[in-house]
Amino acid sequence: MLKSLDPRVNRLNIPLEEAAHAQKNKLDQFETYEVFVQTKEDKPFEHVGIVHAPNEEMAFLFAKEQYTRRGMFCISLCVIKTENIRVSDYSENQKDIYDTFEGKYSGKTTYSFEVFHLIKRGKQHKYEGNVQAKNFEDALLAARDTYPRNKPVLNVWVVKSEDIFVSDEEDQDLWDTLQEKKYRDAIDYRAADKIKAFKEKQHEH
Amino acid sequence: MNTEAIKELVYKMADDLLILGHRNSEWTGFGPLLEEDIAFSSMAQDKVGQSWQMYKILHELGDSEPDTVAFMRNANQFHNAQFVELPNGEYDFSLIRHFLFDSAALLRYQMLTESSYTPLANLTKKIKGEAKYHSMHAKIWMKQLGSATEESIQRLQNALDEAMPYALGLFEPSPYEAHLIKDKIFAGEEALQILWQKEVESIIEETQLILPDWNSLIPALGGRNGQHTEHLQPLLDEMSEVFKVDPSADW
Repeated sequence: MLKSLDPRVNRLNIPLEEAAHAQKNKLDQFETYEVFVQTKEDKPFEHVGIVHAPNEEMAFLFAKEQYTRRGMFCISLCVIKTENIRVSDYSENQKDIYDTFEGKYSGKTTYSFEVFHLIKRGKQHKYEGNVQAKNFEDALLAARDTYPRNKPVLNVWVVKSEDIFVSDEEDQDLWDTLQEKKYRDAIDYRAADKIKAFKEKQHEH
Repeated sequence: MNTEAIKELVYKMADDLLILGHRNSEWTGFGPLLEEDIAFSSMAQDKVGQSWQMYKILHELGDSEPDTVAFMRNANQFHNAQFVELPNGEYDFSLIRHFLFDSAALLRYQMLTESSYTPLANLTKKIKGEAKYHSMHAKIWMKQLGSATEESIQRLQNALDEAMPYALGLFEPSPYEAHLIKDKIFAGEEALQILWQKEVESIIEETQLILPDWNSLIPALGGRNGQHTEHLQPLLDEMSEVFKVDPSADW
């Protein structure tokens, strides 16, 4: 049996010779969902990362613990299945990606879309606003005509409003937690002085 | 204020949280997928944190320091329900216990926000947000696995049948029920159990699981009086191993 310093591992009685794993299907991972967090009433939703999950409800569950736990302010959280987000090309050399779009916005209001902008490389996409359009391409053109662009937009994400799973307003208390959480932080275990003293002692010998 | 009645109430809540928090933390690193491992571990940590706050209330009522109370007692001095000390088993059992326990915990906290005993009312107002997430997490898993595949449904059903008599032990009446109700400290285990059964029924209805007949169940009682299964003492030994190396050390 596998021996470990962790008693939980020993209790699993794992044979030393690892049994052959059952054949797995390729691509058996759950799908990914993009997670967006709103930290304050007057701040836009901002992309924070992804989670794997079997459906959007579970993606929401996982996202809450993954991205809005420690020392992070959050008043609302939303998840969007990655495949439902249409991503524009990326622009280079500080050019505005909108300037590369050709065509004319139809003015149709068949679907409602939400638009996210990336303003700086290495930063996250932020929510810009809502547009009505007949399809994704049309939504990009609508966004181009709608939003003022003080700074060049490097990349645009567009998603149908109906594909967004957002927390209920009444669930804001999910983020009310005990303030006193110092015991969770490694910083509370002040060992530096002891380690220093130990090293000095070692040195003397 | 009836201090003995309050202590009995707070001790059983704190011990439930500490023991289940420790049990659930045994999943850390072994969870079925990374995101769930993190979420389940975080909730375990919330529970230990909540128990600590309750031990602090008991400390203010004259009992020992929270660490001493948590780590230096023997099994027969713990007031947790036997339900929370049972080994984790497979994830199906842990999820069912999570669902049954946390639905009760959330309802209990909601009731206690109205408590005439201010420290408890204030604390439960602070922690009911965490409990709401825990309960939401459990319910979504129930709905997901309770209607997914033949295997998932059967596994949850077996776990539910096994867990239910123990879950009823959560509502073991205290000798002070009448005092607690009269002094408006807590509306009582019976009132809580009625709300809880309704809640459990409403969730199970949305799955393909079958609830056992409430009347046919024999509750596993005794935990509130320090009568425990053989599983509690080994848990305590493991949990307090480091603390007992040097109880005076400042961590």
